[in-house]
Amino acid sequence: MTTPPAPQQPPHAPQPTDQPSQPHPSPQLPQQSPATQTAQPDPAHQGPAVSAEAPRPSGPAAPPAPLEETRIERAIGRGFARVTGRALAPYQTAVIRIGFAATWLFFLLREWPHRHMLYGPDGPWSLGMARQLLADNHAFSVLPWSDGRGWFEFVYLLAIVSAALLMLGWRTRTMSVLFMVGVLSLQNRSVFIGDGGDNVIHLMSMYLVLTRCGQVWSLDARRAKRAAAASGPEHDPLGVPGRDLTGVVLWAVLGLALAVAQLSGCYGLSWFGSGPFPHLGWALVFWGLWAVHGLWWAVRRYAPGEPRTVLDTLAKLAHNGALLVIMVEVCLIYATAGWYKIQGSRWQDGTAVFYPMHLDYFSPWPALSQALGDNGLRIMLITYGTVMVQVAFPFTLFNRRLKNVLLVVMICEHLSIAFLLGLPFFSLAMITADAVFLPTVFLVWFGARLSGLRGRLFSRGASPEPAGGPGGGGPEARTHGADGGHTLVG
Amino acid sequence: MQSYGDEPRPLVALSLPSRIVIGVAACAVAVAVAIHLAMMFLHVAPSNTLSKQQSEVIGEYVYPEYEQNWKLFAPNPLQQNIAVQVRAELRGADGAARTTGWTDLSARDGRAILHNPMPSHTQQNQLRRGWEFYLNSHTAQDRPNGLRGELSERYLRRIVMARLGAEWAADGEVERMQVRSMTTAVAPPPWSAEKISDKPVYRELPWWQVTAADLPEGAKHQ
Repeated sequence: MTTPPAPQQPPHAPQPTDQPSQPHPSPQLPQQSPATQTAQPDPAHQGPAVSAEAPRPSGPAAPPAPLEETRIERAIGRGFARVTGRALAPYQTAVIRIGFAATWLFFLLREWPHRHMLYGPDGPWSLGMARQLLADNHAFSVLPWSDGRGWFEFVYLLAIVSAALLMLGWRTRTMSVLFMVGVLSLQNRSVFIGDGGDNVIHLMSMYLVLTRCGQVWSLDARRAKRAAAASGPEHDPLGVPGRDLTGVVLWAVLGLALAVAQLSGCYGLSWFGSGPFPHLGWALVFWGLWAVHGLWWAVRRYAPGEPRTVLDTLAKLAHNGALLVIMVEVCLIYATAGWYKIQGSRWQDGTAVFYPMHLDYFSPWPALSQALGDNGLRIMLITYGTVMVQVAFPFTLFNRRLKNVLLVVMICEHLSIAFLLGLPFFSLAMITADAVFLPTVFLVWFGARLSGLRGRLFSRGASPEPAGGPGGGGPEARTHGADGGHTLVG
Repeated sequence: MQSYGDEPRPLVALSLPSRIVIGVAACAVAVAVAIHLAMMFLHVAPSNTLSKQQSEVIGEYVYPEYEQNWKLFAPNPLQQNIAVQVRAELRGADGAARTTGWTDLSARDGRAILHNPMPSHTQQNQLRRGWEFYLNSHTAQDRPNGLRGELSERYLRRIVMARLGAEWAADGEVERMQVRSMTTAVAPPPWSAEKISDKPVYRELPWWQVTAADLPEGAKHQ
């Protein structure tokens, strides 16, 4: 059972302090999830690791080192090869990209008639009040930039469009930034109308910026595949790409917009204060992302050799780090939800599930809630089952089969919450968060079924569109899923 | 400008500076991830030795963008229906003041949610969380604590005026309003032997003066 209460913004006095020094983890962390493990080919297929300061040949394929390696050193080497070798879990990150973007998109469309009441300058939480609170908590939002109704409508439309394009995977890297701006702007402006689902989307919108979530099932991937096909069978993936006029225009327009906002001293664009991290302001983040996008374009075009490999590897590192954060975040959600429940007397006596179903705000179908709630044993089993699943989930990640069973249970539970408690968007966000742990084999199979269905539906229209649909398989579909991968690639 | 590509390339052939850059970046990412996860953990974990010691550092890191609360229906689910009701003092065209009856805004929300597969945040969250916001930013004696307390009062008045302003306007000008909550315990499950009073408990807030600042922009022109 999960639910809506969203956090309050507690008062706080921002006082710059240094980070506590943290123990240094070994870089092989992301391997610990079976989900990503399944997504990966054998590490032996990858090139040997690049070692940093301490030269440390590694991986089973690497030649034996002159010095005896300990097991730990070998493990570190393998892990390093893994996180620098690929952007892991391409299908899982694509699913969460589609899921979160779709949840936010459907939410914005559903609230279209109520948008002024929720986020508009004259809503009950007026822009003036929002400004007062933002001046206190320093959260980011572009809505305070102007009082005008037109600006609000523009931002709301931008949020819709960026969510739709991120879902489709068009210019994924750029859209993920705009998506985050839309999510943060609207949610931070009206903090008192959100629920747990909004909270999940808020966090994930920031993490998605750092993940390469458009590697498969995206228009970007399809475009890349077509470009590769057009340049013939001897296509060199590292060849110099075209000029990419659309990308250049998009980049220039966004840079110009950011410059205008920056020069007019708009709210939230400070360089070193109140950003996503202490001492790292939003201005620095946005200009940094903008510069990196430009640099990537330039390097691909004019320095396709080593500089490109280095940049590509750095992007993979960022992706894999963010992916780990996303996965741990999902575990934290379930662990917190579960462990706090154990302390509650209602969860102990087996009646907890009965109560939310009988709250007026969460019972769109009272007759159904009544019928479900009249059997004490059933309620107790659901109550205990919920706690067990939530507490157990993070631990089951070490056992693939068990993890998949629990995923199915949790997705079913969220589906019933969506309907029974009238929380469809919250549930959709949670199901999406669960999806980061779905096995690659299943996702590839599912994608193949979807594109097969699409092919059957639209084949009569004599569409020249390949069955690969938006996306097409990534490198792993080809190397990994001999069964489903091929249909997916078309 | 796109970076969807994922071309596996051997990194061995790279020059030393490039390898150093990658190595340093890997360490930086590892440290950043470790710090971030530690902060998230300490933020959602119960208050403990470490989080009490480092509360300032954690707060500065987590707020405002990583704030989260996953105590979902925990430790105990809410077992009461809390309805927010409101009445107003109107001054009619004849100059006489009269007090309206109580209007149950939560019941209206409830009717909007009934048989609605996709309730809006305006129906499910706005008033409910607005009331929570009021409670969290006020003392038991209805004294506001700071900016948030005052904002929450104005927020409640504006929610009420946005919903009832037009209805009341027909009978006169709104001078003051009073908000109260009616808390009713959810009846215990049919198989339970628990006895719980089904009598509602009221909390009445003081009368509030209604000013132009409490009206939605459009309402002024009506």
